[in-house]
Amino acid sequence: MSKTMPGTKDRNTLAYPGFGLGLRPDHYRDFLDGPQPVEWLEIISENFMVPGGKPLAMLDAIRADYPMVLHGVSLSIGSVEPLDRGYLAELKALAERVEPLWVSDHLCWTGINAHNSHDLLPLPYDAPTLDCVIDNISRVQDYLGRRILIENPSSYVTFRASDRSEWEFLAEMATRADCLLLLDVNNIYVSARNHGFHPHDYLVGLPAGRVQQIHLAGHSDMGDYVIDTHDADVCDAVWELYADACGLFGPVATMIERDDDIPPLAALIAELDHARAVAARMCEPYYV
Amino acid sequence: MQARFLTGVIDGAAVAEALIVDDDIVGARQRLDIYRHNYRASLTGVLADHFARLLAYLGDEQFGRVARAYVAAHRSSTRNLRYYGGEFAAFLAQNFPEDGELAELAMLDGALRAAFDAADVAALDAARVGALGDGWIDRALSLHPSVRLLDFRYNSAAIWSALDGDREPPPVTQLPGRVRLLIWRCGQQPSFRSLSMDEGAALDQLAAGCSFTALCARTIAVAGDRAAATVADWLGIWLADGILVAAD
Ligand SMILES: [Fe+2]
Repeated sequence: MSKTMPGTKDRNTLAYPGFGLGLRPDHYRDFLDGPQPVEWLEIISENFMVPGGKPLAMLDAIRADYPMVLHGVSLSIGSVEPLDRGYLAELKALAERVEPLWVSDHLCWTGINAHNSHDLLPLPYDAPTLDCVIDNISRVQDYLGRRILIENPSSYVTFRASDRSEWEFLAEMATRADCLLLLDVNNIYVSARNHGFHPHDYLVGLPAGRVQQIHLAGHSDMGDYVIDTHDADVCDAVWELYADACGLFGPVATMIERDDDIPPLAALIAELDHARAVAARMCEPYYV
Repeated sequence: MQARFLTGVIDGAAVAEALIVDDDIVGARQRLDIYRHNYRASLTGVLADHFARLLAYLGDEQFGRVARAYVAAHRSSTRNLRYYGGEFAAFLAQNFPEDGELAELAMLDGALRAAFDAADVAALDAARVGALGDGWIDRALSLHPSVRLLDFRYNSAAIWSALDGDREPPPVTQLPGRVRLLIWRCGQQPSFRSLSMDEGAALDQLAAGCSFTALCARTIAVAGDRAAATVADWLGIWLADGILVAAD
């Protein structure tokens, strides 16, 4: 039995590159020493916004063998202040150096009045914020000359000003700004637990034709709430949600995002293989 | 709204709690505390990462106290965490004047860290000097962007090396005079060594854009003809280590 791939009618995404990993300094040697079973690598943009030295030398050497995507944490797309032109110029220069498949950042803001939180701070989900975010995305896309991906953050608070769900906000944002989505399945799980919504409702509320990339990660379960620590293996509930996402969206570029307690590369590749198996099982109808 | 929320995160202001939905299970205060904790943890974490030998010297608990005091006194105004610890050594010098080695360890950690990802500029080596021909000795020189010169009053360099090698550090001693350290990136590896007064003075002149000919003339004027051989020896080491660049 064959089935139409979701979002085929209004598919806006770029070509599907397969499965990837976040590139971390602990694994530079592994990637330089020989080919690894990874189709692409994601780098944290800010880690390579440095004058020179080893980070850029490693980046160039590994880029020669792997396609890459840029993932930023400082764009502050939801900031009520004007976008930081200096940061944008550095991002554009890095994109010219790396020639990435795509560039992403988060639905958040990071600071105001020259003070930076170095965190992905949450936004109220209301009409004025939506207008502000869409306006900023359009400016960034014009400046970079490419569509960007926006990732759903983990959040711990709900603003009193919010009058819609995060997925409704993302869906309207992606359509009106004509941008793509980076879906962090772990973040959906974390936020669902913290705010008491059903993660399946979240997934079905998104525009399938705009989901370009998926993050899988681990978290810390504090009982009453969950913290997005990226320092542990992907848990069973997140794997189930990933299967759900594969069923809804078809094949989407997927990677394991590990930021702390970095295990040997082989352990992450084993997790990635698990993701391949889940995707193969869930996406099979699309290939028949 | 964003300014109020950020004050709630950075200064712990309770006014931010009015912006968010309260609940019986976690509560507005505890929810905001997650962001408050994240803020302090990311800044103290970057200090621990960038000042690893100072951390080893003080131990987790004492370093944690000092790092939290710095974070409380220094809101982050940089987008890139790479620059956050820029005032850490000065903060230590000011707050721990009796323990001068703390600021010096931080300066050394900081200078090595800066050398690690300093700009890539081709350093002069024997081959490049050969290619420039005889005229190179009259050209203005400069130091590679990774180079820092630090003057220490304590045996902090020996303490740093012991900590770096996981050995028991020697007791702090104040040196009879000042010792000058050269920090630079050797290949991709941040390195340091101590300099004689004369070599330190020579590098000061090169940093100011002096040519090799002018350096020789000045050194001979101060130390006599025999110094010419010393300057030639230094040059061999500088070219091998990659600390010189052409200034023009
Ligand atoms: Fe993520």
